[in-house]
Amino acid sequence: MSWAQDDRGTALVLTLVLAPLLLVALAGVLQLGALRVAAARVRAAADLATLVAVNDQDDAELARSGALRLAADAADVAREYFARELELSAPLLDGAAEDIAAAADVAAYPSAPAYDARTGARYDRPTVRIAADVPVRSPIFGALVLRPVTVLHVIAVSSPR
Amino acid sequence: MKRQSAAATLALLLLMSSPALAWNPFRERPQPPVAAREPDPAPFVAPPPGIYYVTDTYVADVVTSSGPLTTYSTTTVHESTGSYARVLDTVGTGASSAFDGSAFNGRRTLGDGRSVAGTYYENYVLIDGGFVPISVVFFQDDAELARLVAVATRSPAVTASPPSLPSQAARSAAPACCPATRPVPMPASTPPPARPIRAGVSLLPVSAPLSSVEVLRGRAVALWPRAFVDDREVPVLTWALVAGDPGEALVLAGSGGAPFRTSWRRLAPPGAAYDLVFRMEVDLPDTGHRTADARITVIVRSPALEN
Repeated sequence: MSWAQDDRGTALVLTLVLAPLLLVALAGVLQLGALRVAAARVRAAADLATLVAVNDQDDAELARSGALRLAADAADVAREYFARELELSAPLLDGAAEDIAAAADVAAYPSAPAYDARTGARYDRPTVRIAADVPVRSPIFGALVLRPVTVLHVIAVSSPR
Repeated sequence: MKRQSAAATLALLLLMSSPALAWNPFRERPQPPVAAREPDPAPFVAPPPGIYYVTDTYVADVVTSSGPLTTYSTTTVHESTGSYARVLDTVGTGASSAFDGSAFNGRRTLGDGRSVAGTYYENYVLIDGGFVPISVVFFQDDAELARLVAVATRSPAVTASPPSLPSQAARSAAPACCPATRPVPMPASTPPPARPIRAGVSLLPVSAPLSSVEVLRGRAVALWPRAFVDDREVPVLTWALVAGDPGEALVLAGSGGAPFRTSWRRLAPPGAAYDLVFRMEVDLPDTGHRTADARITVIVRSPALEN
């Protein structure tokens, strides 16, 4: 029997070669799962903020014309609640929740119909829209010579139906 | 032995093989001429669902009166201007629409102040393969009977008594020398016609009456029944909600100094609204004791996410 036909010890070599690859794949899967959870929480934060902002109407316009128009501070309310909701996910964020909310593009369309200059959408009801870039920590990606911070783009739109 | 047999068989097959050539039996015949196809002048772009090619173009709003009947219609001309359109909203009499005020030809109102029924269309032109909205037009389609007829049928006090025919005795008393002249009956003194009462509902004690309101679900609102005679507000003695969903109201009737307070926790079915009818009593020296009904449409909305 020659040395080429001797398979003693190959399992050890195979394990030493494949184990790092398997660990890298496992870490990547875990990081992707964590990012999906973070994305869901950020999206829920934006949705809730727009819903709260739309849930108020202009009393003067209501008495004058009977039509539903958003309150004058709808955009501010949306930004404030976006920051509050993001604060609940602070360990996941790569930045202060208030700073992220302050940098978000919040637009209120008090009356309808209206056109969104950012998305081109047409709104047939009074609408609040949040578009934000939320930086989320991804340390495992950083350890794998990838980006340690992943930016999530989120858009939430709400209007009374 | 098996290997040698297989190799011999394979070699024999390779040596005996010949190419299979196809034979065209019509290769000697001339080819029929193929008509040269002209390219399309413009690429066909299929309109998205809901948008159709316009074949009848708006001309003008028409209001015609025939006796007590007033008809609101729209004239069109059968021609194609190359534009497209889609239906935005179809509204009934008095119903509000999100597109009110967006049509270039506006939306008329009936004699009682309610908006006419009709359909909103949005016009498009095809530019660079995309449909670009250019305008909104309202096609009115409604009719009403004159309010005078309605008032006359409601209040018999204002109907004039039929002229009395001259009696037989009066005709026989006419002198024989003179041609028979028909005596003109003098109408008896009738009471002055009752002044119409216009009833409405407003959201503030001094704001304008509204035909419809949009309120958020669960939001507390106060509806003030109001009455007017000759554009002058008169006090309401009492009011009562006689039709419609009262929502979470605790009191369905009251005096004129108190509003109807309520909120709605349930939305109306899609496309529907709550129609409320208030009956109010007015008692003044110049109007007498009268009742009048006011109608208001309540649209309850609730925040929702958009896709």
